[in-house]
Amino acid sequence: MLEFRRVYKSFTDRGRAIPVLDDVSLEIPDRQFVCIVGPSGCGKSTLLRIMMGLTPPTSGTVLYQGRALEGVNLRAAMVFQSFALLPWLTVQGNVELGLHARDLPEEEARRRAAHYLDKVGLDGYEEAYPGELSGGMKQRAGLARALAVEPDILFMDEPFAGLDALTSANLREEVLTLWSDRALPVNTVVMVTHIIEEAVLMADRVVVLTSHPGRIAADLPVPLERPRNKRDEGFDQLVDSIFEKIV
Amino acid sequence: MPELRPSPRWLPILGVAVLLALAALFQGPERVLTLARGVVRVEPSFRDLPAAAGWSLLRMTGSYLASLLFAWGAGYAAAVSARAARVILPLLDVGQSVPVLGFFPAAIFVFINLLGGGRVSLELASMFLIFTSQTWNLAFAVYEGIRTIPFETRAAVDSLGVKGFQRFRTLLLPACIPALLYNSILSWANGWYFLIACEIIVAGPVAYDLPGLGSTLSRAIAKGDLRLALATLLTLVTIVLVLEIAVWRPLRTWSRRFRYDTAAEEAGEAAMFRLPDFGLPALVRVLRGVARSVLHRAPVVRLGQALAATGRGSARAARVLRWPALLALAVALALATVAVVRALAPPWPPETASLPLALLLSFLRITAAYVLALLWIVPVALWASDHPRGMRALSVVAQVGASIPATAFFPVLVALLVDRFGGMEIISVALALTGMQWYLLFNLLAGVQRVPGDLKESLRALGLKRSEIHRKLVIPACMPSLVTGSVVAWGGTWNALILSEYVVYRGKAYEVLGIGQQLNRATFGTGDRTVLFLSLALLVVTVVSFNRLVWDRLYRYVHARYRLEG
Repeated sequence: MLEFRRVYKSFTDRGRAIPVLDDVSLEIPDRQFVCIVGPSGCGKSTLLRIMMGLTPPTSGTVLYQGRALEGVNLRAAMVFQSFALLPWLTVQGNVELGLHARDLPEEEARRRAAHYLDKVGLDGYEEAYPGELSGGMKQRAGLARALAVEPDILFMDEPFAGLDALTSANLREEVLTLWSDRALPVNTVVMVTHIIEEAVLMADRVVVLTSHPGRIAADLPVPLERPRNKRDEGFDQLVDSIFEKIV
Repeated sequence: MPELRPSPRWLPILGVAVLLALAALFQGPERVLTLARGVVRVEPSFRDLPAAAGWSLLRMTGSYLASLLFAWGAGYAAAVSARAARVILPLLDVGQSVPVLGFFPAAIFVFINLLGGGRVSLELASMFLIFTSQTWNLAFAVYEGIRTIPFETRAAVDSLGVKGFQRFRTLLLPACIPALLYNSILSWANGWYFLIACEIIVAGPVAYDLPGLGSTLSRAIAKGDLRLALATLLTLVTIVLVLEIAVWRPLRTWSRRFRYDTAAEEAGEAAMFRLPDFGLPALVRVLRGVARSVLHRAPVVRLGQALAATGRGSARAARVLRWPALLALAVALALATVAVVRALAPPWPPETASLPLALLLSFLRITAAYVLALLWIVPVALWASDHPRGMRALSVVAQVGASIPATAFFPVLVALLVDRFGGMEIISVALALTGMQWYLLFNLLAGVQRVPGDLKESLRALGLKRSEIHRKLVIPACMPSLVTGSVVAWGGTWNALILSEYVVYRGKAYEVLGIGQQLNRATFGTGDRTVLFLSLALLVVTVVSFNRLVWDRLYRYVHARYRLEG
């Protein structure tokens, strides 16, 4: 459903072009959980932003459902590392942002926000401000905000990196549960992470990016059975083999 | 505050040159004086006080709203376009540092010429002047507010497809609110300062009729009616305090919600002096409810589309009108050049020879006031750093002191001091001191408070004595705040020279040789174009270059050297 054809991206700094992504071609089909891993500064986040339509590629084409992507993809949604909630809106207000942008009637927006807040376990926190929530709850709100627009495809940029170990483990499980939930509209997930174990635990497929500039170094399926566990047979070997490709 | 910004070096110079040229073009002291002769003077009385207060408040509100609109436009344009920023930011910088009061006569003349010399033209001239004292820092606030929106927050809002008016309402405006509010308080303090100054000038030498607290004050003093003067002053102080308690304080508490770091660091300040809020939050809630229901009924989406269409339309109009506009600007510049040349054509009157000396004397007077202010403020701030209770009381004093316009005290101070202490020379230093000290105290106290407690404790644990801690930690840590306060204090005092070096009391003019006095006399006394233009030019060039060469560098140095990293 999402296809990159020979995508280049560079930023200019004081008149000099600095390449970030170099000749990236990639195809992401329906119903796949893809993780993009790589060292910091390899352009993972930039790749995700191009997929979302937040920034255009310098050259090359991005196709969504067979058509060239122009501007923000309204059939997609994104979750951020810093949660990126607006501190001056309540949890409910944050979740309704995308719904109002899509001109949903007030009643419908309210109903849908409540539904997805319930899904992520934030029932009863509608009127709270983000400043009053813990990190884990903030990310749940971020997740609810993304799910509420009922996207076909969900992008997540290091969604667990800002959380403590226990909270992130919990939330990881919940995201997997939500993903396997057929009632949710989300078909496809693309997640950026720098933790290889996380990728192997969650993804159907791992795309490895090298840095300076970002190129696809490997594209591997994860054949392990779900639900997975770090002690599963073959888990460590897969992690090690990905690790070698990055180094 | 001044910062390192990449922008063409010639731009501030060009800005100053254009300002001066336009001022010269419109200088017409004779006309202003001639028109003034036809005005019937009104005797001031107690009965006029409420009306005067109302007019002053109205003038302030009008110019504040205009400043806000302009600031949004300029700040937004600079924040979204790097190219616009390279032009707008240096111009804002110049606007902020130019001594605005010097341009007041020119402003009066422009508006009188445009609108025919009625009350409206005076109102507009004074509002324009107050506007130029209020808008620059607001524009910087908008710029900083939009620029400091975290990258991911902006991306999140964009990724949700939020656009147009909804984006303005949910992202851009809230992001600017803390800085905008903080700067609004500064702008109001600034505005009062200039409002009173304008009204005094208009009522004094020019003798126009512009009802307001400043003019009532000035006339009461000129007549020698000290009781009325004190009553006017009291009215002004009351208004300022009521605004502080009933408007700014609740707004400040409310605006904390709009910060990204919602940590409890501000809790201390909130608990420090909690004053009754007079049920204002309830009122705000009601108003918000009304606003919300209006907003829901109103065709917001269509309004947004209309606005966008207007924006596109005006962009197209700007493209079409670009050449005519440039042509008009070129003509204006040519006329301005002619006016400058005419103003500077010999023979020069004998006063021009004394202008450099006048400038030097003014500079020395400000320096004397600055040193005197530091002499009492630094020990007080250091004392406060060790006495939390004293700090609280002093903070309130400084806040109130800084929010009351010092220009209002000028006439009263003169009335009290004249014939008693050493004459006008001492009085003018005292006036400069009055205008200066609160900004310094306010900023220095803020600096002292920012010294982390654990850092101080660690030095005490090492066995350092109190005076050593002051010398090694507190004073260096305060340097950035001291420089910030100094910039504001010097700027205000340069501006007030025109009032502090030439005062009329009981029909007699008290004056000292200085650049402010020369400016004042040339505008309202002799009507000499050459002296007026030269002294204004000298003042503007001195202030702008002093800011660029001294304060900017000091600010950068001090911030690099003494910043406490958190």
